[in-house]
Amino acid sequence: MLRFVTAREIGSILPSYLVKVETTRRIFSVELSTHFDVQKIHDAAINSLDIDLVEDRYLLSGAGNGTIVIHDLHNITGLPHCTYPEVCHVGRGNRNRHKYSVETVQWYPLDTGMFVSSGMDKLLKVWDTNTMRTADEFEFSAGIYTHHMSSTATQHCLVAVATGSSKVKLLDLKSGSATHTLRGHRQTVFSAMWSTRDEFILATGSRDSKVMLWDVRCAKGAMMVLDQHNGDTSAGSNSVNTAHSGHVNGVCFTPDGLHVVTFGTDHTLRIWSTATGQNTMVNFGRVTNESKRSVKMTISGGSKPQLVFVPSVSDILIYDLVSGTKVSTLRGHYNQVNCCTFHRAYHDLYSCGNDRNILIWKPLLDTTLAYDEFLHNGSKSKEDRTNSFVRRIGTADSWSSDED
Amino acid sequence: MSRKRTLPDVYRSRKRVCATPANHSSQEALNTNGVDWNDGESSNHIDNSIVPNDTSCALAYLKNLFPVEKFEGRLPPIILQHQLYAIVSNRTLVDQQLMELRNCGKIKLFKLGSEASEFCVLYADDYKSHVRKFIQNMSLNQAVIEKFLTSVVDQCQDISLSKHKLMTELKFKDEEVTQLVKACVLTVRDVGSWWMAFPGAGIFMKSFIRGRKAVLMMIRKCKYKEIIREELKSRKLPRIARLGMEYHIHDLIGADLVECVPTTSGMLLRLQE
Repeated sequence: MLRFVTAREIGSILPSYLVKVETTRRIFSVELSTHFDVQKIHDAAINSLDIDLVEDRYLLSGAGNGTIVIHDLHNITGLPHCTYPEVCHVGRGNRNRHKYSVETVQWYPLDTGMFVSSGMDKLLKVWDTNTMRTADEFEFSAGIYTHHMSSTATQHCLVAVATGSSKVKLLDLKSGSATHTLRGHRQTVFSAMWSTRDEFILATGSRDSKVMLWDVRCAKGAMMVLDQHNGDTSAGSNSVNTAHSGHVNGVCFTPDGLHVVTFGTDHTLRIWSTATGQNTMVNFGRVTNESKRSVKMTISGGSKPQLVFVPSVSDILIYDLVSGTKVSTLRGHYNQVNCCTFHRAYHDLYSCGNDRNILIWKPLLDTTLAYDEFLHNGSKSKEDRTNSFVRRIGTADSWSSDED
Repeated sequence: MSRKRTLPDVYRSRKRVCATPANHSSQEALNTNGVDWNDGESSNHIDNSIVPNDTSCALAYLKNLFPVEKFEGRLPPIILQHQLYAIVSNRTLVDQQLMELRNCGKIKLFKLGSEASEFCVLYADDYKSHVRKFIQNMSLNQAVIEKFLTSVVDQCQDISLSKHKLMTELKFKDEEVTQLVKACVLTVRDVGSWWMAFPGAGIFMKSFIRGRKAVLMMIRKCKYKEIIREELKSRKLPRIARLGMEYHIHDLIGADLVECVPTTSGMLLRLQE
């Protein structure tokens, strides 16, 4: 890396190249962090996580008993170990809490003063973070599996709601009512996500094995129905084209919005081009999918090649988006993993599951290794420790090992 | 969990074996804001038409494995797509090369049955000769089949056909479509759409499923549910499974039904739960 820093100094490489390279190295070395933890508040299976986009500071989590907790992820002590504290939560005593499980939580993209949660009690609630009370509530005809607000939208303030009925509803937060109903799916819609590139493109995945791309400005219906065989796309064949051979659990756009990744119960992961709707035919092998609800995947944008983090049974699998090879398996959870979310700045992965844990996966840095060694040396006798301490003062370097 | 994961070669810390031309190109790549694009350049100089790619070689090998004589000429050599994954390790490469071969018109892909996504590969020439042989035995309108073979099979590379395409674009009439279904070249998929198919698929599937079940049963009966590949090859399959042990082993490995573990006594096949 120092070679790259020198090269950047003399101008032989662009600064963004160094950023990309170092980010890639960090993201590829992600592993379970033993020094960082999240304060344990949840006592039920955690279904969804979200990190705010404004400061990348607050972690919002929703659980199976209707509770919602917010943790503060800023480590201001400077120590190499920390337990992220809870800021506030919607507990069992809160009058406005969800009666059944919370399936999805999401921060309002522009401000942490508001967040939206939805769950199996058929309600979508808009919360005021400062008072922890609901500002607004919307009722639907069936349980809500996912909802999503576009992070790049400037012209609209729509929330796409994927419900147990086959309709996808668009809610306008400014006017406070449902503006559109997107008809096209025939069974439960499990997941929905707005495009990260176009604020009017929405992708939905449903139990009827179809993935549809919608342009919400268009009144006619789905813009595209994705076909796994890449057959001809005439009007008649749209009704039979399936994206997977099983239910479509998870839909995720890549950060550049050019591709969409879908995950199905036929144990396959597929990447589609958003512009043409073609299956890129990247083969990931068998990615076990035992989830009966929506699965929330995440894609790291900073690395080249981009990596997709897929929760699969009780592990998180990391795949290379371009070649389809498995980079690694992250084992740590005791039960099914429901959601994983990526921290853009620190390149950490936060995951939650049915085992009531939120686990943090951090890049393996030299400081972590040095701290591990420091702790290990700390278990020796007192004289050794003082000797090593004195020697360390002499060398004025508190991270180097005294053994080599 | 190993701490070392194969990073993409971003740091280029390994020295290149090739001479200076590669170095110059990699310097250029450093200046362009991206990863080295020139990695695969040397392979482009090989004339692709002469040297067959990995997938074609694997296809030819598997075609040889298929016991045509055991079916008394009722079946052409059928290869399953996932058998290729057992031979060529990079699955995406196999998929892409299969796509290329399909677009050239050398092979055809068919979807077998309603279970998940089992695709079988047939060489285009084998398919056409098989269909022609089949219709000679039955009293069907040969002209329709010939029209189908020339217009659809040669030009259209899709797995399924919709009513719109058949009737309006290719000008097939309703009775002609019925004839095609009778000739087993088309199978009903949904109200207005059909899968492409080949006659005799049922015979193949019966043998194949029975054989697969028999091999899996053999492995399941072993202690620890694992067996060395050579030992499995030496075991005899029951009479109903006519496809041969090698064929089934490739199928099991490619479909991820068994896990391959390299050991000092050879490749170990362990049953996956």
